[in-house]
Amino acid sequence: MHNSVLVIGGGITGMEVSLMLANAGKKVYLVEKSPIIGGNVIKCEHVFPNLECATCMIAPKQQEVLQNPDIELLTLSEVKEVKGKVGDFKVKIHKKARYVDLVNCIGCGACYEPCPVSVKNEYEENLGERKAIYVPYAGSLPNVPLIDTDNCLRFKGEDCQACKEACMFEAINFDEKDEDIELEVDAIVVATGFKLSIPSDSKYGYGKFDDVYTAYEFERLFASNGPTNGNIYKKDGTTPKSVAIIHCVGREERGYCSRICCMYSFKFAHYIKEKIKEAKVTQFYREICTPGKSYDKFVEEIKKSGVELIKFEEIEVAPKNGSIEIKYKANGKEKVLSVEMVILSSVLEPHDDKNQFAKVLGIECDEYGFYKEKDEFEPVLSTKEGIFIAGCAQSPKDIESCVAQAQEVAGKILQLYGR
Amino acid sequence: MEDKIGIFLCECGPNIAEKVDFDKVKEAIKNLKSVKFIGQHKLLCSDDGKKYIVNAIKEHGLTRLVIAACSPKQHELTFMKVCEEAGLNPYLFQMANIREHCAWIIEDKKEATEKAIQYIKSAYRRVRYHEPLEKKEIEANPDVLVIGGGITGLEVSLALAQSNRKVYIVEKSSELGGKLKEFNKIFTSMRDAKSFVEDKIKLVEQEKQIEVLKESEVEEVLGYFGNFIVKVKTQSKESELKVGAIVVATGYELFDGDSLAHYGYGIDDVYTALEFERMVKTGKILTKKGEPPKSVAIIHCVGRKECGYCSGVCCMYSIKFARYIKEKMKDAEVIEFHRGLTLPDKNYEKFYKDTKALGVNYIYVKDLLIEGNTKPIIKYKTEEGQFEKQVDMVVLAQAMVPPKGIDKLAKTLRIAQDKSGFFIEEHPKLAPISTSKEGVFIAGCAQGPKNIKESIVQAGAVAGRILSSLVPGKKLEPEVRVSQISESLCIGCQTCIKVCNYGAIYFDEAKRVSRVNEVLCRGCGNCVASCPSSAIQLKHFTDREIHEEIVEATR
Repeated sequence: MHNSVLVIGGGITGMEVSLMLANAGKKVYLVEKSPIIGGNVIKCEHVFPNLECATCMIAPKQQEVLQNPDIELLTLSEVKEVKGKVGDFKVKIHKKARYVDLVNCIGCGACYEPCPVSVKNEYEENLGERKAIYVPYAGSLPNVPLIDTDNCLRFKGEDCQACKEACMFEAINFDEKDEDIELEVDAIVVATGFKLSIPSDSKYGYGKFDDVYTAYEFERLFASNGPTNGNIYKKDGTTPKSVAIIHCVGREERGYCSRICCMYSFKFAHYIKEKIKEAKVTQFYREICTPGKSYDKFVEEIKKSGVELIKFEEIEVAPKNGSIEIKYKANGKEKVLSVEMVILSSVLEPHDDKNQFAKVLGIECDEYGFYKEKDEFEPVLSTKEGIFIAGCAQSPKDIESCVAQAQEVAGKILQLYGR
Repeated sequence: MEDKIGIFLCECGPNIAEKVDFDKVKEAIKNLKSVKFIGQHKLLCSDDGKKYIVNAIKEHGLTRLVIAACSPKQHELTFMKVCEEAGLNPYLFQMANIREHCAWIIEDKKEATEKAIQYIKSAYRRVRYHEPLEKKEIEANPDVLVIGGGITGLEVSLALAQSNRKVYIVEKSSELGGKLKEFNKIFTSMRDAKSFVEDKIKLVEQEKQIEVLKESEVEEVLGYFGNFIVKVKTQSKESELKVGAIVVATGYELFDGDSLAHYGYGIDDVYTALEFERMVKTGKILTKKGEPPKSVAIIHCVGRKECGYCSGVCCMYSIKFARYIKEKMKDAEVIEFHRGLTLPDKNYEKFYKDTKALGVNYIYVKDLLIEGNTKPIIKYKTEEGQFEKQVDMVVLAQAMVPPKGIDKLAKTLRIAQDKSGFFIEEHPKLAPISTSKEGVFIAGCAQGPKNIKESIVQAGAVAGRILSSLVPGKKLEPEVRVSQISESLCIGCQTCIKVCNYGAIYFDEAKRVSRVNEVLCRGCGNCVASCPSSAIQLKHFTDREIHEEIVEATR
């Protein structure tokens, strides 16, 4: 045994597993594909049902991870190869260069301003802009920027070093190279999370006309650290007077209900009512799914604020004279509603590279593309001994269920060290 | 001995230095009483900066420290460690946030400088009254008490025993296995419930590290995380257990409120969910008259309105019931009256669709009432109108509620319940299985309604938390910034006991004063704020310390 564990994914699930194992004296390698930790939760302004500030809730966890001497965080890193078995896995990791030193940089941000490049910020769902040297969001952790070599002038052959000149701490190093790291670990935790699908079905009108938003686009529109500083604006810069929220987007195609979309849709209704009191909010749903001891109460509160709920059978989003028309069928009758903004509440899906990654790990995916559990009642065991799955990598779930699975995985791993 | 106070200014590169005039700052603080050293560094949190502080402390024999730099959220811990390294008690240090609160938000350099001076002076005045606080270590007992021998309790116990922990299971009834024992099958795999749970019971019974106390109840709990003393009553015998952690896995009951009558309970052939499971267990689904029913209605959401929540399980077990019926009587008419289907997991929709394909009818109702004398008649309202349907049998899918009498256990353990009676978790998102009382965990339906899989996950989570935090041989470090009550000022009103979320204050009947159990106190300050006679002080946040800080800040 090496007394060490590899955790893949730095979202809430991966962070929780890492902290618990580190606190029990295990060495943890936390591998995160993106430059920051916090996962999907940090995209949100609030979490349901208590409407707690998401970043404030999660920041202490992130700090704990960053400060824990037993957790080695590898950002911009991906697992490329896994060999061996429980108690002795050999793992190869590819770590991309950040070009900014994690120790020397203090996160002052002096380097972004002089950068002459401006591109769409993918972390802001392309609704805002960023420089070629940037942090994904204000308040990202670790609070250290990275250089996007696809857009940086210097990496395109020009003689620019504006960022380096602005840095007072000699934290920028253009010569940093990608690294290949080899690790030996006893167990592996797959906590790679989920993605929200961009609805490709043309009936939702996404991408076809303005002011049809995905759930995360809307989260960023509402986020106080987002591209509009938390103002809900239409593409033309005005405030919408009517908004439709469509639940269950992708449910029929994917074949499952992902549990949290109703709740986050009600949260969206609250967002809108909070910012634009007079806005008319209509929620189109197939089934209302609010399983939890405090969820119905939250929904009742939202209903009181004057949102309309419509149970639909069929729906189509179409443009009409510069606004949007929702054609829907309810109780067998065809109806039409005009709105200025549409939010699509999509189901949670596995990542696109799931099959490939499952192959790297030597585990299986289920019929929905989530990592397959060994047994219905052992949801955190993968099909390979020593590799554990937790959080939304296993199935769609809310934060509290992710945390519970994370804690269970930590327990199962500690049990490996046994009697 | 006279104090020697050191004040360190951090430039934070250009971040603070560009906006705060350090010469003016030094001028303003150099004559403050007891200030023996004023330092300045480009970046105090760097290795070089930390060394600079350590050396200055040693060289000048500094006894207290003010560090003017960034937010304490960022580096307070860093500098506390620096103090320790230099042999200085880390609580004899105070941070002044001149970056986030000054340099980063004030455009005008003069204004930023003035504010920085004020902050530093505030910190200086405060730190003069700081007391050194000593870390304490307490021995911890790694054994665990599990209350409840249902599937959740069994799973927690097995997981812990497999890591060589001694576990006591206290079970109220005369057998292990809980509600699951009464089920026939478990959704969605439809595996046999009895063998599933009996296998677990067998494992528990074989496990030497697990001691099962049946027909037993917890009478009294004393102590704290790491060292609980628990009085257990087994029939008429009392015993005492010493454990480090307690797991509450007390499960649920099915709703049996007044509205059961509204759904026709009491009319022949109207059954509760558990009555139906028991009937299926006999191998035959028959009406009172002994005939197989030609039509069965399953009513969802029974009790949801009264309870005020969706249990998240009833839709799924109702669909399972439809399977039971269709398996035995392919041609029976099965109608599920629901109020919106809750199918919250990846393979649940498939389970529903497969069941629907067997010919089960699903009707979405707005309202529903069951009447009848000899046979149940369902009167229901949908979007289309009002309808009636007579059936041979009705099964009520009730909501899950906390078991009766659970309030007593809540009081014994001093853990909070919500309005419905479920135990409240430490944090609804980040800490679902711990409670505000450290060392007391909740799992399964004790925390809220959930299915078997989710209960097992929570059981595993509790085992994880205990294995991670209660390690044999490892000592626990309780909070040192705790409340203290002055015996002479306390008037014995016990307000503090009421507001303490951690059960950390008890009443000394002999002296008629409240006392703090320092191991349990988390330093939240609730008692300090509520004490009418100002008898309580929180260490490191004393009235004096806060007063001095505010006086300077508001000057």
